[in-house]
Amino acid sequence: MKVTPWVCRSCLSRFARPLPSHHIRFQSTASTSESVPPALLARARTIAFEHKQLTEKLTDGFDTRAAKKLGEYSAIVNALKEWDKAKESVAELTSLINDPTTDPELLALASDDLGATRTHLVNASQSLTTSLVPIHPFAHLPCLLEIRPGAGGSEAAIFAGDLLRMYQGFCNRNDFRSTLLKYENINGTQEAGVPLSEAVLEIDSENAYGVFRSEAGVHRVQRVPATETKGRTHTSAASVHVLPSLQENSLGENDIEDPESDYYIDPKEVKLEVMRARGAGGQHVNTTESAVRLTHIPTNTTVSMQDSRSQPKNKEKAWVLLRSRLAQTRREKREEEMVAMRRSVVGVARMGRGDKVRTYNWNQQRVTDHRSGTTVHDLDDVMQGGHTLDKVMESVRSWLMEKDVEALLAEEAPTRDVKK
Amino acid sequence: MPRLPTSLLRKAYAIDSLLPPLLGPCRDLNSARNELRWLREHVDKVSRARYTKGGSSAKGGLLRTLVRKRVSGGKPIGAPLQYGLGTEYFGDLEIEVRPGVLIPRPETAASVTHLTRLVRDARELPTELRILDLCTGTGCIPLLFHDVFYSVRSDVELRFLGVDISSKAIALANRNLQRLRRSKKYVHKGVTEFMLADVLVNPFADRARRPDEPLPLKSALNFNKKRVFWDILVSNPPYISPSAFRTTTARSVRGFEPRLALVPPGEAGRSDTEQGDAFYPMLLVAAIDAEVKIVLLEVADLDQAYRVARMAQGMQVYDGIEIWRDQPDQAHDGSSQPSSEFPIIGQGNGRSVLCWRGPGALWLGKNNGEASNAGPLVQKPYSELDSVSKPEAVHSSLHPESFMQMQGGRRNV
Ligand SMILES: C[S@@+](CC[C@H](N)C(=O)[O-])C[C@H]1O[C@@H](n2cnc3c(N)ncnc32)[C@H](O)[C@@H]1O
Repeated sequence: MKVTPWVCRSCLSRFARPLPSHHIRFQSTASTSESVPPALLARARTIAFEHKQLTEKLTDGFDTRAAKKLGEYSAIVNALKEWDKAKESVAELTSLINDPTTDPELLALASDDLGATRTHLVNASQSLTTSLVPIHPFAHLPCLLEIRPGAGGSEAAIFAGDLLRMYQGFCNRNDFRSTLLKYENINGTQEAGVPLSEAVLEIDSENAYGVFRSEAGVHRVQRVPATETKGRTHTSAASVHVLPSLQENSLGENDIEDPESDYYIDPKEVKLEVMRARGAGGQHVNTTESAVRLTHIPTNTTVSMQDSRSQPKNKEKAWVLLRSRLAQTRREKREEEMVAMRRSVVGVARMGRGDKVRTYNWNQQRVTDHRSGTTVHDLDDVMQGGHTLDKVMESVRSWLMEKDVEALLAEEAPTRDVKK
Repeated sequence: MPRLPTSLLRKAYAIDSLLPPLLGPCRDLNSARNELRWLREHVDKVSRARYTKGGSSAKGGLLRTLVRKRVSGGKPIGAPLQYGLGTEYFGDLEIEVRPGVLIPRPETAASVTHLTRLVRDARELPTELRILDLCTGTGCIPLLFHDVFYSVRSDVELRFLGVDISSKAIALANRNLQRLRRSKKYVHKGVTEFMLADVLVNPFADRARRPDEPLPLKSALNFNKKRVFWDILVSNPPYISPSAFRTTTARSVRGFEPRLALVPPGEAGRSDTEQGDAFYPMLLVAAIDAEVKIVLLEVADLDQAYRVARMAQGMQVYDGIEIWRDQPDQAHDGSSQPSSEFPIIGQGNGRSVLCWRGPGALWLGKNNGEASNAGPLVQKPYSELDSVSKPEAVHSSLHPESFMQMQGGRRNV
């Protein structure tokens, strides 16, 4: 059980799917890097050591369990071997090149080789990382991005709108299909600068949850609001909430029907209210009343939807949103329980809704992510959802990955010898 | 109608200068915002279309015109939003609407959807199922039945005939059919037709007809070589009595929708109630003539539902009769269910009467019509019925903040 991801196994078997290779770049930053996070490397070495011991044990007599484990480990061990080899070659070539006594012919050869060997190392780093990192069981799903203004009045609401456009720009540029599932601002348009009260953006592409889940949290803005006459800088915030999205295509009927699943909702526990004219109805009245409200009674979770003139459409959207919200709550609860169970949790920062994750500072034209510690300076490009945002998001994903690995190690270390 | 508080108007104005006028017909901020958003979306669409045709794309003017129409239209309360936008949703379908033809109502969509789903789920159906819709208006009922049925099942040929006395309605119904046939999700199966006819006149009445008058239903069927026998009869006929028309209808209904679609014609010696019920005897006779197995008739309220159910019972051919409320797919909450001679299904106001006989029971998923209510007539005194459900005075009828409660999000199959 040592290579299992940190989220429950049954979910994994239910949701894990092989990732198409072109999406792998979203999984970690290792794709462009020659190095492997130290925590990961340490873990790979431990596994390699265990692998060696098991191999020796196997020569003494056959043991099915050991054989099975050996199989599980061999991919990691091979990836580590490749990486060590590539690393060594790069080191050798570099020292040859730097050595003044190297003869010119050899020097030319070595310089020629270095490029190819470097690329090889980058690839090896990537395969080593991906062989080790627990993939979030919902990473492959499309997702819902909910944006709401936090503290700071209408300036917060304006910033919430800015964030929405930032993510929309990001989606357009990266070919993620996105649609506004819900959009409520004060006068119902999408003009820039109009205060936003709530937006739900559905990103209907494979792996969207894996890409966006690290965006969840409180995003803080520091700037002089357009409405500020004295030129003072204000600090306000907007919150971003990311949920895996549950559409028929991302999730089989089974998951919705299966009471064990996070997505299961007993219809009897949901109160449906439709807005309609009170009184006689029918031919007597002709107002357009299409709003729908769903309430999950046990948790008192409500979702209301009124964007569309079609009531069935509003109902459908409301169900999608309710299902996603409940599933998220259930998952968070389970993860919390798991964290509590770990005996020594070192540096596991849970990214909840309450945590400030990033600051956008207009005066200094910078964006700082407080988790990865990354600061970038092209604020405009970030706000347009440009490459600079990619950079920030990637830094968080790789931070998150390291945290996941640390948590995994912390969880396993004390029990390593106790477990069978 | 009570005046709107100034504070509300001021708040609306601060949000958008176009909002305060919409508060009049909408009565609350949320609905007004929704309307303004829908109007804006409509204007965006129109101006985009104009622009691609090379015209100007000025939006402000069009939006203001639409808002003004909604508000004044020459009357104290403005024209229905739907006439301004040109469409209304009926279930999942966007149906074109026009002044002169009644705007389809969500309650009708709810019962037609429910009926269609019941029939759709039947294990055995004839290879051709024929559905007659009398008083078809925009044609919304056959179009929705077609959509809901074929979205799941395609082993049955559906044949629809929609009938209306208004040539405006027939033209619009045909237009709606063409429009849907062009949409991607339309399933090209079955036959849908519309026909001009009068369902109220008796073909044998010795009364001289004017040559431009529509033919009586039976004559029109013969003359146009349409089928004589049908399986299902659906109708949402005019059912409002003259007094209810004055007191119970919203002003935008009274002032802008055709009276022809709402109030049955009067006749010497007819009481107010009898006039409101005028279509049902004719519809029930048409059902017998066409030998239909299922009848679904929309009504104004629970009282009219009882009267119609009793008329149907009097025909002595039905194996079962029940009354549906506005949301027949929702389990009733059990609180205020009056004990009744007919089963009452769902939540909301009394909305329609369902009758079946013979194979109709199986098509509806009834257990061989065992729950029979077509037995001997048990007449209840009218006074008792009155206490069951009094139509509420619905002068300022809209309280959109109040959600009507229902239990259960999904249909219990
Ligand atoms: C309440 S509307 C129903 C329209 C449509 N079925 C719907 O649900 O939206 C009634 C319709 O009956 C039509 N109608 C009125 N008198 C009629 C008659 N004598 N024969 C046939 N149709 C009639 C009107 O033109 C109108 O379209």
